[in-house]
Amino acid sequence: MTVTLVNETVQPDEHRGSAQSKRSRRSGSIVSTYSIWKWLTVIAGIVIALAMLLPVLWMAFTAFKPETDIVTYPPTLWPREVTFENFAEVWERIPFAQLYLNTIIFAGSVTLISLLFDSMAAYALARLEFRGSGVVLVLILLLLMIPFQVTLIPLYDMLNGIGLTNTLPGLIIPRMTNAFGIFFLRQFFLSLPRDLEEAARVDGASEWRIYWGVIMPLAKPALLTLGLFHFQYNWNDLLWPLIMSADVESATLPAGLALFMGQHVVEYGLLMAGALLALLPVIVFFLVIQRSFVAGIATTGLK
Amino acid sequence: MTTLESTRLSETVRASRRRGRFARKQELTAWLFLAPAIVILTAFMLYPMVQAAYLSLTDYNLIRAAEWVGFDNYIELLQDPAFWNAFWNTVLYAVVVTPITVGLSLALALFLNRQFVGRAFVRTAIFLPFIVSLGIIAIAWTFLLDPNIGLLSYWLAQIGVVTEQGLLSDPNTAMGAVMFVGVWKFVGFYMVMYLAGLQSIPEELYEAARLDGAGAWQRFRNVTLPLLSNQTLLVSVLALIATLQAFDQIYVMTRGGPFFKTETIVMLIYREGFQELRFGYGAAISIVLLIFVFLLSMIQYGYFRRKQVRY
Amino acid sequence: MQQHRSSTRRRARRRLAVVPAALAVAALALAGCAGQGKSSAEEADPNAKVTLDFWNGFTGPDGPALEQVVSDFNASQDRITVKTNIMPWDTLYQKVLTAVAGKNGPDIVAMSASRLPQYASEGLFQPVDDYYENADYESDALTPAAAEASVFDGKNYGVPVNLATMLMYYNKDLFTAAGLDPEAPPKTWDEFAAMVPKLTVDEDGDGKPEQYAIALADHETVPMYPTFLWNTGGGIVDEDGEKSLLDTPETLEALNFWVDLVREKNASPVGLAGADADKLFQTGKAAIEIVGPWMTTGFDEAGLNYGLAPAFAGPTDSVTLADVVSMSVPANADATTKEAAYEFFAYWNSKEGQITWANGSGFPPTRSDVAADITESPYPAIFGASDVTSNARVLMPGVAAGGTIMENVFTPALQKALNGEGSVDDLFTEASKQAQAELDK
Repeated sequence: MTVTLVNETVQPDEHRGSAQSKRSRRSGSIVSTYSIWKWLTVIAGIVIALAMLLPVLWMAFTAFKPETDIVTYPPTLWPREVTFENFAEVWERIPFAQLYLNTIIFAGSVTLISLLFDSMAAYALARLEFRGSGVVLVLILLLLMIPFQVTLIPLYDMLNGIGLTNTLPGLIIPRMTNAFGIFFLRQFFLSLPRDLEEAARVDGASEWRIYWGVIMPLAKPALLTLGLFHFQYNWNDLLWPLIMSADVESATLPAGLALFMGQHVVEYGLLMAGALLALLPVIVFFLVIQRSFVAGIATTGLK
Repeated sequence: MTTLESTRLSETVRASRRRGRFARKQELTAWLFLAPAIVILTAFMLYPMVQAAYLSLTDYNLIRAAEWVGFDNYIELLQDPAFWNAFWNTVLYAVVVTPITVGLSLALALFLNRQFVGRAFVRTAIFLPFIVSLGIIAIAWTFLLDPNIGLLSYWLAQIGVVTEQGLLSDPNTAMGAVMFVGVWKFVGFYMVMYLAGLQSIPEELYEAARLDGAGAWQRFRNVTLPLLSNQTLLVSVLALIATLQAFDQIYVMTRGGPFFKTETIVMLIYREGFQELRFGYGAAISIVLLIFVFLLSMIQYGYFRRKQVRY
Repeated sequence: MQQHRSSTRRRARRRLAVVPAALAVAALALAGCAGQGKSSAEEADPNAKVTLDFWNGFTGPDGPALEQVVSDFNASQDRITVKTNIMPWDTLYQKVLTAVAGKNGPDIVAMSASRLPQYASEGLFQPVDDYYENADYESDALTPAAAEASVFDGKNYGVPVNLATMLMYYNKDLFTAAGLDPEAPPKTWDEFAAMVPKLTVDEDGDGKPEQYAIALADHETVPMYPTFLWNTGGGIVDEDGEKSLLDTPETLEALNFWVDLVREKNASPVGLAGADADKLFQTGKAAIEIVGPWMTTGFDEAGLNYGLAPAFAGPTDSVTLADVVSMSVPANADATTKEAAYEFFAYWNSKEGQITWANGSGFPPTRSDVAADITESPYPAIFGASDVTSNARVLMPGVAAGGTIMENVFTPALQKALNGEGSVDDLFTEASKQAQAELDK
């Protein structure tokens, strides 16, 4: 990322306007209108992207700043002096590797199991006819609307009663399916074409085969999107893992990072360095999905 | 004639029986598919919710034993100015943020469905806010928006725009600022839902529309929009529910302040339940919220369902 | 208490007979609870090995200092092991409530002394008066403000973890630049008010100063404005915690003085959170901040040329704030646990423990007889000097509604006044009624 790019976020409106008009004036006579539009698209895209990215960029650059450079006037985005000390200290101060592993186990298993159960339920609701489907759907929508803050105490009470608090299963089991995920996938399953599935049914395929062999491959982009949703949600969740685990060592990354938000003093450099490291797997996950979109759009997309 | 009729009759009977057996089998299969989800949701969501509903009829404070108080909590909240303040803040938040999020995410999805250099980068950039932890990013925003030493206000000052007071602490702008962060955070996610939907629209439909002489707007109006109606239903129902439950960025950025200007219903539930130790009262508020969200979503769902049928 | 709670729940659940599943799970829950029951009637076993779960909110740089004292204690004997569980205060309060509701709580909880009475009044903690009666624990050496902060309803529910006093930090370079004597910080409100026109600087004349005389936070902060009320003889509530003082002439005098200074003379920006105020002083954009010892490290590292002095006095006195964190024992802890916790409390507040703590954290020690042994930095001695600690007061100690009044009544009214949404007199006369209603609950 260069400084010029960064500067474009500075004054989105001002800058974008002038950049665009300069562009169009310069190239208008030589290049076709089509090409101008194309360039405008690219410029608009980059300006939007940088405006969206500003806080994330700030976070990333701050991770490389010495603590005293962070709170200094005038503020800068780019570090005046680059340091890697924050990263080293993160490893010293919290059991980072252990927390990373805990988080991967927690977020990973919740994501996989939840995708399976969500999609099974969504398949029944979108593709199978049965009495009471309307009621089930409405109930699931209703569950979607329950604020988490209210069920927390009764839920903890119950898990504690059956001895699941401070255990990994206790952390994972209540999250193994999700009303949001079911509703999300149902809507996507509804928009899938029915011909393939009908053909399979005529061939005498079982519903499980249709679900697993026909619907699931077709729904790959939706599944990946939902997977990312589940993954990031659990990856970033602070309260639930902290409440369900006995100590910081058995909790997840956000609990570790919270230790840098001091009671009186926030250690910005450490916090941002830790947050940046914590962000990497989620970005990798997103880039994987991004590839599947490109593939999908290349074949059926609208241009 | 009678024989003909009777054979016809028996055929229909047999056919319907066959259909019946098929339907019964499918019914059983359906419940088997639903079983894991239903068991988990009942045990870990519905049951705690029923518990909370019961606690809303008590004065439970998380420490002492709960005493039955009947509908006292509900009667109290209807007269509680704090409740009505939170209620109207929530409605305002939902009414502004839901349409903006839905519209913007559709616009961005259409924009990013075009081919251009750097598209993958732009998509990633728009999506990134969604995957970053809100607790961390709230610190970044507070830093950037600080009126005296923040980067954004510094840049704005360079071009002559003076931010008098912090956007998050000025009572006139605080709600706008949390709304902005709410849109910023979630627009990328809804955009991806639309993108996934756009892929399932066959190119032939656009070709056919083009052959019929449809312009870009007509193609959008008559092909894209109707075929995205499942996504639109999904996105708008989810966005509405999410905005009516707005909590996270408000909790980390303003705590509902200044003087309750940004306190939403879920913030109030949290404050009553965990700070004032009035869990029973907080539960009562949440039941009212639940009923409210449910009614609104059903109206919205019904509206979109009807629209869906048209196409 | 547990029995009582279970039976009420069961009774109420019968009325709710619509949910048979609830009964099954409830039975399980009850069985689970019964296994964990601890009877406080039993005798303490002085030889039993004990592990104490110690929850606290000492995140940030204070965490390692706290861990150091704990591991010293664990190494000093082989019977008791203290396990720390550090998390942000917010999360701690929520986790404590969740865990206590599930009878699965910690053995020692640290909590702000201003938050403690609310929990004590609900019976979450047991009194620790016998700790103070036992001469072996040397509690007489403790700074009185720290030890008395946790008294609620005549009983003491906690033992101090730390005591933070507030001093005035002033930026000497900014004083010099303003033509003021850098060795003569303001001693009274009036001296300060006279300096404001020099220390608040608006060079480009856009109406927004580039530099402020003082950084005063009005929310999410150690209380800054409330201490000014003491300096005119006012306050938020009276000493017994029974009567609101928000509408008294003294209180209104103080509030009018400060709101006027901030609004009309731009003495401080409006709407600062505690962290914003720290940043403002650290970047040299505010000449004065009144805050605790934790900022010395950051300001030193930033190379600020600052001085420390007692905060300027008001018309009546110069009392400042003492911020105390206490540790308590939950009501359901048994005698053995409680006795072991006392051993830890005593070690924490021993000379050895406090020297380690003060050296590591920069906080003043909770006892005044160790100042000479603190060698790592000069600040614990400065903030812990007896004339500072004796002049420091805890905000609304022992008032169960204190937190509620602060968060829901005082802060909103102050923010309204600072934003010009009503006059101080009207806003605080109304606020006083609300505060009184909270006190009468």
